Amino acid sequence: MPSRSIDLPQGTLDLLILRTLSLEPLHGWAVSERIQQISSDVLRVQQGSLYPALHRLERRGWIKARWGTSENNRKAKFYELTKAGRRELEIEQDAWQKLTAAVGQILETA
Amino acid sequence: MLHDLLFRLRTLMRRPAAENELNDELRFHIERQTDKYVKSGMSHAEALRRARLEFGGLDQVKNECREARGVSLVESLVQDLHYSARTLLHSPAFTACAVLTLALGIGANTAIFSVVNQVLLNPLPYPNPQELLAAPENDSLPNLEDIQRQTKSFASSGGINIEPMDFSGTGEPVRVHGAYVDVGLFTTLGAQPVLGRLISADEDVKGGPRNVVLSYPFWRDFLGSDPHVLGKAIRLSDNSYTVIGVMPRDFTLPKELADVFVSLWVGYPDAAAERDVHFMHTYWRLKPGVPLAQAQAEIAHVDRRLAEEFPHTEKERATLLIPLHEWLVGDVRPALLILFGAVGLVLLIACANFAMLLMVRAVARQRELVIRASLGARNRRLIRQRLTENTLLALVGGAAGLIAAKAGTTLLLALRPAELRRLDAIPMDARVFLFVFAISLLTGLLFGLLPAWSASRGDIAEALRENARTTTTGVSRSPLRSFLVTAELALALILLAGAGLLIKGFLRLRSVDPGFNPANVITMYLQLPGSRYPQIPMQTNFRRELLARINAFPGVEAAMITDLPLAGNYVGHRVVVDGQATRAEGTEPVVQTLSVMGEFFGVMQIPIRNGRDFSAMDREGQPRVAIVNEEFVRQLLPGQNAIGTRIDWTRSSDPHEWMTIIGVAGDVKHSGLNQPVDPAVYAPFSQNDEAWRKFMTLVIRSRVPEASLVEDVKKQVWSLDSQIPVSGIQSMDDLLAVSVAQQRFNMLLLGSFAALAVALAGVGIYGMVAYRVTQRTQEIGVYIALGAQHRDVLRLVMKDGVKLGLLGIVLGLAGAVALTRVMVSVLFEVKPTDPATLIGVALLLAVVAMLACYIPARRALSIHPMTALRRE
Repeated sequence: MPSRSIDLPQGTLDLLILRTLSLEPLHGWAVSERIQQISSDVLRVQQGSLYPALHRLERRGWIKARWGTSENNRKAKFYELTKAGRRELEIEQDAWQKLTAAVGQILETA
Repeated sequence: MLHDLLFRLRTLMRRPAAENELNDELRFHIERQTDKYVKSGMSHAEALRRARLEFGGLDQVKNECREARGVSLVESLVQDLHYSARTLLHSPAFTACAVLTLALGIGANTAIFSVVNQVLLNPLPYPNPQELLAAPENDSLPNLEDIQRQTKSFASSGGINIEPMDFSGTGEPVRVHGAYVDVGLFTTLGAQPVLGRLISADEDVKGGPRNVVLSYPFWRDFLGSDPHVLGKAIRLSDNSYTVIGVMPRDFTLPKELADVFVSLWVGYPDAAAERDVHFMHTYWRLKPGVPLAQAQAEIAHVDRRLAEEFPHTEKERATLLIPLHEWLVGDVRPALLILFGAVGLVLLIACANFAMLLMVRAVARQRELVIRASLGARNRRLIRQRLTENTLLALVGGAAGLIAAKAGTTLLLALRPAELRRLDAIPMDARVFLFVFAISLLTGLLFGLLPAWSASRGDIAEALRENARTTTTGVSRSPLRSFLVTAELALALILLAGAGLLIKGFLRLRSVDPGFNPANVITMYLQLPGSRYPQIPMQTNFRRELLARINAFPGVEAAMITDLPLAGNYVGHRVVVDGQATRAEGTEPVVQTLSVMGEFFGVMQIPIRNGRDFSAMDREGQPRVAIVNEEFVRQLLPGQNAIGTRIDWTRSSDPHEWMTIIGVAGDVKHSGLNQPVDPAVYAPFSQNDEAWRKFMTLVIRSRVPEASLVEDVKKQVWSLDSQIPVSGIQSMDDLLAVSVAQQRFNMLLLGSFAALAVALAGVGIYGMVAYRVTQRTQEIGVYIALGAQHRDVLRLVMKDGVKLGLLGIVLGLAGAVALTRVMVSVLFEVKPTDPATLIGVALLLAVVAMLACYIPARRALSIHPMTALRRE
């Protein structure tokens, strides 16, 4: 396990999941792998906490689930983004970028 | 939001499937992760261990997933319900108390609501009932026909007159209610027969065929529901009528009772044509969309025209139209609404007791709550659990209340006064069930939340301290409980004041002198059939002979009169007094005209104030005589000597055949104990010139047992004429009781509500003091050990209860003064702020409150100091 990985800030997990699913439908394990890979193992997602987040997003109607066959030929539950989820992703992304930009600015200048 | 709800519901519906899917999903993750590590060279066991470790607690994740899916809300409700049912069953005494309290409150409310629902809320049993109107003033058929022709606002209208008819078909002749109708009546009420047909317009004419339509009960009871009854002939009042139809079982007239329906033109050919015989109730149906004001204006216009055309009889016409529903329930509406309000207060008191019971229980269950909290139950969840339990209790209480209400409505039916006669059943329909469910739920939520919330705030912490053996004076002095006790007493006082006023009014009413002595007087109604007694001499012979025979019984005094006092009916005539200035035609005073035979005043013990009673010499062929009442003298002969004055009816043709006043009788409450006395003229039957006065009521004073006397009288009647029914057998005492039945109904109901309220409030204050004594056992023990006197101990434990009780009574007095005003319309000669009543009920309640404090306080006296201390 990389020693320099950091825990996710509160509330960003949803954003990361939505972003990850915006490319293609994935099952839960793949989502966690993808997040770790893309963040070059910097971000560490507590695997257990991924599933409640997925179910919550499903209940809100941002993603929908469907059973399919995994790459290793097993039955797996795939999640994909809905239209509402895509809208939500744009809003969240926008808000996140504004936030980080503002925080970055303060850190650089102050 | 909708998506959310549907999602939760779907998840809930397919819970086992969803649970399996969740397991599969998570298992897949762990397998996949294990595969990954195995591929990187770990042993399978090691890989599995690591994957599990990284995943975290599986059960916790599952739980969080379930919560995320929103199942938990419903699931925990089910859990709570289960838990509640179990705990409630474990404390049967508490549960029984709570359920009983609520059952009483909710039951009483439901019973009254059922009546309100049936009488005030349910629509009348006619199509489009909102279009129906009634005219409180009677009218004649020619007037009705003129109005029908000259107005456009009405789709139809019709009139009806109820007269007794004799039905002599099988066995004893019976008197039935004959409805003489104008054909428009059926159209107006939208009635259809269940068998055969109705009277048609071309039969409703002078000389039309003698056809009759039967009511369902008549057809069932007297004709055995004969399916081939159509076309058969039955004998009614000595005439043969052909049955042409039967009305449906649920058809009733708006206010009248009717067994058979015949055409007015056929049954009453002479009276039907008379414009001045105002003997019909009229009902009207508005054309759809026509406002009442327009119809009223139109009818007023016709009234003016009729008054001009027929000044002699129609001068004072003013036909008033009232929506039928209002006309029917207008009299009982205020009383019912007052009772409904009162019973609502009873429920509030029951709820306060319920809340206090819950609070006491909350403290008693302190330890359990602490344990559950320390095991990780969140505060919100604990409150929710308690709320579930309280609501469950309230719903069980509501269900028990329904049973109580069912019994209550049976009682109400038995007590109902004539004004609620239409109420032959009080069905519990969907609206009643909804009402019970709603008030139970509201009670549980509102009054269950109060103590749950209060417990979560301070009371429990306080109670904990109590258990930790502190003896502060603040013990169990919860502000909420104090408020509830005060409010209970205040509400009870308001109810008690209302009941007190009604009782006082009722006693006043009962103490009104009716003007006669009702004791030991039996009355019976007879009517001579017009076909066999068309002329007055025949009628007089029958009457004289019958009276002579009855008076021959030992110990029996009998007389007869046209209409009994308190029965409500009389025939009014306009009167002229000889020697007084002639008044304009149609404005002469109207007086009651009563025909008598025999020693009527003697039998009824009505005093003759002046002059003399009728004698046997005052008969046909002798000078016409009359006795007037005192009110007649007051209104028409003020300051004059009435005796010897001559009077006559205005309708008599010139020259007047004057009646000479020979006596003045005491006033009699003819129209009801709470009604003013009208001027009245008594004249002998035998000097009567109105052959249509074929009816009479026997009044018999005797100490002979009623049943045998009635049989003997019937025998005498039938030995004179076997075809005359004897009906309306009742004692004068019964008649008196019936005349005050409405007031009695109000008084009994409000009285029992007040009694219930006082009992509940007493239990409430008792509970508070008893609880206080239990909680402070050690303190009291120490107090006694230190040498406190009985008085000091009593003062210590009773102080708060008495203080709250008195505060409640004072507040209740203020509330009573403000609220009893709504009772003006149902009170008889009592002001709603009657000081004696208010002070009386306040004292009564104060005594109850003191007693409720004293009984548990006495227990404190018997506390033994050593036992009290050893309890620790």
